[in-house]
Amino acid sequence: MMNVTVISQILWTSIATSSYFVLFAVAFALILKVNKVFNFAQAGMMSCGFYAAYVAVRVLELPGPFGFAAAVAGGAAMAFLLERFGFSVLRHRRASPMFVFIFTIIASQFIAYFMMMIFGTWPTTIFASMFWPVTLVGEVAVSAWDVPAIGATVAVLVGLWAFLRYTRYGQFMIAVADNADLAELYGIRKDRVLMVAMLAAGVIVGIGMFLYGTRAQVQPSAATELMLFAVAATVLGGIGNIWGAALAAVVLGVVQNSSILFIPSAWQGFLLYAFLFFAIVLFPSGFHLPERSKKLKRTVAAPVVATDGKGD
Amino acid sequence: MTSMRLSGIKIGRRAALALALVTATSGFAFAQQTLKFGLAMPLTGGQASYGNDQVKAAQWAVEEINKAGGINGKKFEMVVLDTQADPQVGIQAVNRLISVDKVPAFITAWSGVVKAVAPIANDNKIVELSIGANAPDISKLGDYVYTTFPLADVDIRAVAEYSAKDMGKKKAAVLFINNETGIGSAEVYRDTFVKAGGQVVAYEAYDQKATDFTGPLLKIRASNPEIIHLQGLVSESPQVIAQARQLGITVPITSYSGIYNPKLIEQLGAAAEGVIATSLAPGASDSPAVKAYVDRWMKEAGRPPNGLPYTQYLYDAPYLVAAIFTSLDKKGVPLTGENVRKEMLAIKTFDLPLTGKVTFADDHTVNKPVYLVEVKGGKWTSKAVVNNK
Repeated sequence: MMNVTVISQILWTSIATSSYFVLFAVAFALILKVNKVFNFAQAGMMSCGFYAAYVAVRVLELPGPFGFAAAVAGGAAMAFLLERFGFSVLRHRRASPMFVFIFTIIASQFIAYFMMMIFGTWPTTIFASMFWPVTLVGEVAVSAWDVPAIGATVAVLVGLWAFLRYTRYGQFMIAVADNADLAELYGIRKDRVLMVAMLAAGVIVGIGMFLYGTRAQVQPSAATELMLFAVAATVLGGIGNIWGAALAAVVLGVVQNSSILFIPSAWQGFLLYAFLFFAIVLFPSGFHLPERSKKLKRTVAAPVVATDGKGD
Repeated sequence: MTSMRLSGIKIGRRAALALALVTATSGFAFAQQTLKFGLAMPLTGGQASYGNDQVKAAQWAVEEINKAGGINGKKFEMVVLDTQADPQVGIQAVNRLISVDKVPAFITAWSGVVKAVAPIANDNKIVELSIGANAPDISKLGDYVYTTFPLADVDIRAVAEYSAKDMGKKKAAVLFINNETGIGSAEVYRDTFVKAGGQVVAYEAYDQKATDFTGPLLKIRASNPEIIHLQGLVSESPQVIAQARQLGITVPITSYSGIYNPKLIEQLGAAAEGVIATSLAPGASDSPAVKAYVDRWMKEAGRPPNGLPYTQYLYDAPYLVAAIFTSLDKKGVPLTGENVRKEMLAIKTFDLPLTGKVTFADDHTVNKPVYLVEVKGGKWTSKAVVNNK
């Protein structure tokens, strides 16, 4: 069974299907880094994004691009509501991190049940058809969904990187992530920055759910299960490391799908969690690549040497 | 005066007490006029689209039984509780049906739930009727657990035999979800296909939470089968078929009654062509009663029910329970689980409106003809009727 075609197909499909997982992981890691919240309510943002696209395309019969815009708007709208009427209120009431964490779980379930009441529990997709035509590249089947999905994910990652690096709010987000109190002393309005981070996460998960919902069936409780993969990737990528989470999501997808070459397919889920178990136990802070800035810090912090050549 | 007034007050109190007693007693007497049974189905969660339609079908039947005079003039009542198709939630629901609602019999479905609640039914001597679940070992769950729905070894056996003998396929691959339903049914298919002279060249399970099926499908493709049997759930089966076609797997795909749904064709388009499913009940073209039933769905819900054959069985279930209750009530025998079981086995054969005759065999199974349907020209068409021996 193991030949170049099979390995290439598994690698390609793993990379293509990890596109939405990367987006879910990045959004989760962003909120963890900036807002310091394990945001399980992200599942609610995901559901809202999906059903907004569903309404646009299936109910209002608008073209696909409107569905995409609706998914983005839906994710962002739910992110706004959660921040404005949830996290912001809890912050001002000085709720403990544990209480905020519990709030995110309750909010995700509340939204799931709310969606269930409106849309029912029948699994559905954004487009009536979930079949995408396939082109053979060599012997590898590449579906018409794969390339746009990978392209959209790369575009989002580049956009996020540019946003964090070159825009004022992006830099404010990094500042708040490093030290929120200090950032406030420098005049950065923390609440506004946290809202921007939530909106960015909402947009990202909206795009992720549009990708997922055009390929597989979704029901209100599906987002919670999809979230677990994002949480796993975030933990593995290093808490608060956005790009580490993205990379971990791809690696996890490839490892899980490639495992079919060595073990029965029924064990794929087991393997994922076994891998996570050992990764967390052995690397509790996630995997870290050597950082150049650390070398710089060591240079700056070198011991002062007396003029006579003796250390003090 | 004072004494009279006092005595008047006393009389008034006594009268009020008597009135309260009469009201309470008549209320009790009225409550006794209601004969209850339970229905534990998924009303929420991933399987609720099926569960709710099945409950609706059963509710229609109860309404019609009551309109026709109930159980010897007494009201027939169905207590409905949610299982979410989850064994743990199912246990809570059934405990409540037995201890709070005091039902002598209850109906449930989904193999995991049916199995989980079986010990409760057996311990309390309450009849559990499994209607829709098809795991083969349901027939071995104890004295109080029966099914009116043919188990997997009926429809899966029929489709496996038909594939090997009538379609002439020699090499089959089996792809199944790694849960109770999938594992048991996959084993039945494998054993039957091999017994019928075929060879199972791939036997692959996928995880219940899988969102991509490339790996197992590639294994199957590498084994070069002539036919694939898919034993999955409605939530992921369309995606499995779509991915199979995308990977260039063009051989016929068989499955069971779970995928017999108009939505599959809408979701897959041309990729659905050649998909074969089973149905364990006659269709609208086979029976005027079924046609009237489907017409009612179209009129009231604007669509056919999700999983039409399952809803037919659920529609028939209250008629079966009502027949047992009526017989016991006529004899003046109390409605206990033990008596319901005895009477059910004594009657043995029931003629039901939408699924025809059902006979309880001694080994707790039932046998029915299996209707095979195939997607052809963008719609489900009748392929064959297989009578299991």
